[in-house]
Amino acid sequence: MLGLQLAIAGVATGSVYALIALGIVLIYKCSGVVNFAQGAYAMLGAYISYFMLRLHLPAVVAVLAAMAIMAVIGAATERLILRRMLKAQIVSVMMVTLGLLIFFRALCLAVWGPDQIAFPQIFPAGSIDFAGVYITYNYVAAFALATTLSVAFLCFYQFTAIGLMQRCTADNTRAALAIGIHVSNQISIAWAASAALAGLGGALLATLGGLSLTISDIGLVAFPVIVVGGLDSLVGALIAGFLLGVLEAFTEGMLTPALETVLRKFTSIDSVGALQQVIPYALLVLMLLLRPQGIFGRRGVERV
Amino acid sequence: MRAEAQAGAAAAPLLAARGVSVHYEGAISALEHIDFDVPQGALVALLGANGAGKTTLMKAIAGMLPFERGEVTAGEIDFDGFSCVRAHPAKITRRGVALVQDGRQCFRSMTVEENLRAAALLKPARAREMTDLVYDYFPMLREMHARAAGFLSGGQAQMLVIAMALMGQPKLLLLDEPSLGLSPVMVQAVFDAVERVHRDLGASVVIAEQTVPRLLTIATDAYVLSRGTVAIHAAPSQITEDELQRVYLS
Repeated sequence: MLGLQLAIAGVATGSVYALIALGIVLIYKCSGVVNFAQGAYAMLGAYISYFMLRLHLPAVVAVLAAMAIMAVIGAATERLILRRMLKAQIVSVMMVTLGLLIFFRALCLAVWGPDQIAFPQIFPAGSIDFAGVYITYNYVAAFALATTLSVAFLCFYQFTAIGLMQRCTADNTRAALAIGIHVSNQISIAWAASAALAGLGGALLATLGGLSLTISDIGLVAFPVIVVGGLDSLVGALIAGFLLGVLEAFTEGMLTPALETVLRKFTSIDSVGALQQVIPYALLVLMLLLRPQGIFGRRGVERV
Repeated sequence: MRAEAQAGAAAAPLLAARGVSVHYEGAISALEHIDFDVPQGALVALLGANGAGKTTLMKAIAGMLPFERGEVTAGEIDFDGFSCVRAHPAKITRRGVALVQDGRQCFRSMTVEENLRAAALLKPARAREMTDLVYDYFPMLREMHARAAGFLSGGQAQMLVIAMALMGQPKLLLLDEPSLGLSPVMVQAVFDAVERVHRDLGASVVIAEQTVPRLLTIATDAYVLSRGTVAIHAAPSQITEDELQRVYLS
């Protein structure tokens, strides 16, 4: 039963990883920028949701409003900062996104302080009994929301006119311009959508584990996710998100206790620390060695 | 032929470029005070050696220069009453200019059908009709509609990008060396298609090439560029292979 319990918890957090990783892939595909500030968007989304909830807005309204604000912040980041760096070197652009992460963290620190805040209950308290395992509504709701939104987004990307323009922009900028697509608007849309998705992800993380600045660390977990899934594959980000969530849960719940039991028996070592935090990066290194383009990434569909 | 070209020029041309100069990266001069007209319904041959300025002129008309660190530094380009200088390329495309760029620029990760659907986003109302039309022009595309564009051969990809340009129902079609790197059979097919587009859709066409005798037999007007200036502007029948060689080698 422990296995099932861990799998469910892992799938729930994994679905949030997927949601946030989706945004990173979206931005990368469209504008070629690896956005290190994605974790900051998640954190900011969580704090803004908290602020809205404190105004006694209904939970749905509060979270939707926070997502809308995040979309504006995402688009503004692109328009005001990244658009000016079109001709800059890729390292400079990455440094700028890293700077944004630090800036947003400092901003939240100044406004809301360093302490963990209890996030208002937005899902009903209680749990459901699933094959003898009790799952709290928080986990069920986080999983359902993150998964629904991710799938809805993939459908949007694949089947709507704006989705088609997004894919064109991602595939070939010159060709997109030639058929009348306003490429820079598409890039703004990608940043807006990406920040809104991350904002929701952050709010969901806050419902699971409370609200603090450490939510922005999710951005660092999201990178192993997209490297494993493939930097340019949205579906890959989704699947790798689930995979990593489950792997982390099993490491924390089974591998760590087992290792510690063995170590205590034969050595004087008591603890192996937070081994689950190492797993994503171990997987990242392994993936880069074995299959650098990720599970679903393309080397490029091209006839040379 | 000559009389026809002159009669066309007398009416207000569809495209009029006057004294156009282009510089790359603020320093390198690519075009110097070019005058270039495309009369309504004309098929203009734009000839010149490598580096003469053919591609630059087309990019200037379509507004694509800013993406290559280029800039129109002097002159005016008027298309159907709309100034193309400093306009966004998407806007120029919406006005009815379609540029078939060098390097067969299509969406390689998407299927042929999706490529055409994307190209029709500009004028979705007649998308169905236009798709049938381009499949009729290029039956090969219908056969390959479900294939990723990245897997097409050079000639097939060239057909696709021309078809994509047609989906937006342009008034002016600009083709940048469409025959480059194609087999003679494919070159033949491309020119057949262009001629058909010109005749049936009533679009004005500009074709840039280095040297294709066939082009001079179908063109209504011809320009020869050399080192960023117009070396010859004459009726196609007036331009001989010897003369071209002289300009190219000068």
